[in-house]
Amino acid sequence: MSTSTTFQIHYFASASTYTGKQTERLPAPLPLPQLFDTLESMYPGIKEKVLTSCGVSLGDEYVDVEADIQVMIHPGDEVAVIPPVSSG
Amino acid sequence: MNGVEQTCASLRTQIAATEAKLADLKRELEIAEQAAASHKQNAADAEGGSERRWPLLDEEYRRYGRQMIVPQLGIQGQLKLRSAKVLIVGAGGLGCPAALYLAGAGVGTLGLVDGDAVESSNLHRQVLHRTRNIGKLKVDSAIEYLKELNPHSKYIAHREHLAPEAAPEIFSNYDLILDCTDNPATRYLISDTAVLLGKPLVSASALRTEGQLMVLNNPPRPAGDKTGGPCYRCVFPKPPPANTVTSCADGGIVGPVVGTMGVLQALEAIKVITADETTTPPPPSLHIFSAYSTPLFRTIKLRSRRPNCAVCSAEASVTVDTVRSGSTDYIFFCGTTGPENLLSPEERITPLEYRTRHHDKEEKEPTIIDVREKVQYDICSLENSINIPISTILASASSSMSNGDSLADGVPALPSWVPPDVASSQSTDPVYVVCRLGNDSQVAVKKLKELGLDQGGKRVVADIRGGFRAWKEQVDPEWPEY
Repeated sequence: MSTSTTFQIHYFASASTYTGKQTERLPAPLPLPQLFDTLESMYPGIKEKVLTSCGVSLGDEYVDVEADIQVMIHPGDEVAVIPPVSSG
Repeated sequence: MNGVEQTCASLRTQIAATEAKLADLKRELEIAEQAAASHKQNAADAEGGSERRWPLLDEEYRRYGRQMIVPQLGIQGQLKLRSAKVLIVGAGGLGCPAALYLAGAGVGTLGLVDGDAVESSNLHRQVLHRTRNIGKLKVDSAIEYLKELNPHSKYIAHREHLAPEAAPEIFSNYDLILDCTDNPATRYLISDTAVLLGKPLVSASALRTEGQLMVLNNPPRPAGDKTGGPCYRCVFPKPPPANTVTSCADGGIVGPVVGTMGVLQALEAIKVITADETTTPPPPSLHIFSAYSTPLFRTIKLRSRRPNCAVCSAEASVTVDTVRSGSTDYIFFCGTTGPENLLSPEERITPLEYRTRHHDKEEKEPTIIDVREKVQYDICSLENSINIPISTILASASSSMSNGDSLADGVPALPSWVPPDVASSQSTDPVYVVCRLGNDSQVAVKKLKELGLDQGGKRVVADIRGGFRAWKEQVDPEWPEY
């Protein structure tokens, strides 16, 4: 898949465990508020078990998947799914 | 003859032990004398004032010289460090390296909060604790080490787990807080208390090969002041579901990964303490460390305070009173998870019952399915057991649900991981499922039954109660406990 039709998504911590991947490419453009539903269709159960508590970044900035209703993920963008890690 | 030799050996051992003890005492005395001398000096300085020309002791100029000649710190930075009071919550994998470097740097007062005792499974990463201190309280073990490293600082032991009733009082005696804890409820408590008492917070965490680091509530402005730094709730407003939270004991942790995060906390703390008051703090960031990725570090720019944050916004509902009284309930907010209890007594068997029932070597061994992850199965496993990791079982469970076509002809299609003799409808040989602690094995038994592998009750599919921990206690004391 080329960068003109896809974006790169990185999974950290429990998101990486759940998907079994560190990173992959997904079709773009994609409205940000549809990101979690897209992932849920690929990895059933991930929304409730992982995504609801996650932070998400687009480029190198934190975004709010629920509140940023106008935001679009464009081809070539980098998205990260960042679950809170609480152990230490 | 033999008896005399024994007496000699015993006396030699006693002498060696006593000499070691004596050496320890001499070392402790030396440190105490140094500390007493430095206290006396400080007291004299405070009273006389005119006698000492320089603000630090001779020994301190030598000790801190290499960091004081770095322009970002300087003598002003060193004096700020000496008057700083830093609270480290958690004396584990993060707290040990953080405390080590902050004590080394000359932070004047270091408080440590922890109610746990040192265990041998801590020692690969919790670098202040030594083998001889197994069983000792972590704060005491840590402070013993720190006093030897730097006798100039004052160390305060809080020998307790941080509780909401006590948190505001403890925090009020410090200028800066480090969150070095290991669970979501305490993380929210620490962040809330830091915001309410106006203390900047350096927060870090680590699991397996990854870590996270943030400087929060910096600058520490009152709730509702938009120029204050965001808090933990602004970044992670919803806690993860309790049954998905993984501890270092369950998920594992690489020592240098958590060490890196703890050392970075010490660095950020030094930056906050020695910052020039006239400059604004750097924009808030979340740093993610991932040991097996390229790049190793990523930095995400965080937003300012959330307009509806429960603690730091104008709409805040959390106050010192709600924290202290328990009406802000962290355990409820984060949820709890006890040991699984999914199965009926008939579906379970203790290791002892298993051994009694199947001790006959002539008889065909029953099938044992070990649902630990492969990396654990490789450490130790039972002869003749089959490894089917719980993650494999759960992954196929969710995909078969989503396909929805497995029941097309009325016969469920079995996932590929089911071993042939378990799948066979000819066999009624019992199947036992085991894991590390006896939780995942119950989940697996349920799945196997949902797949119809118990043949409507004709075949025993049971869980070995308590997993390998109970196995070691009841059946095989030589089983390695990792």
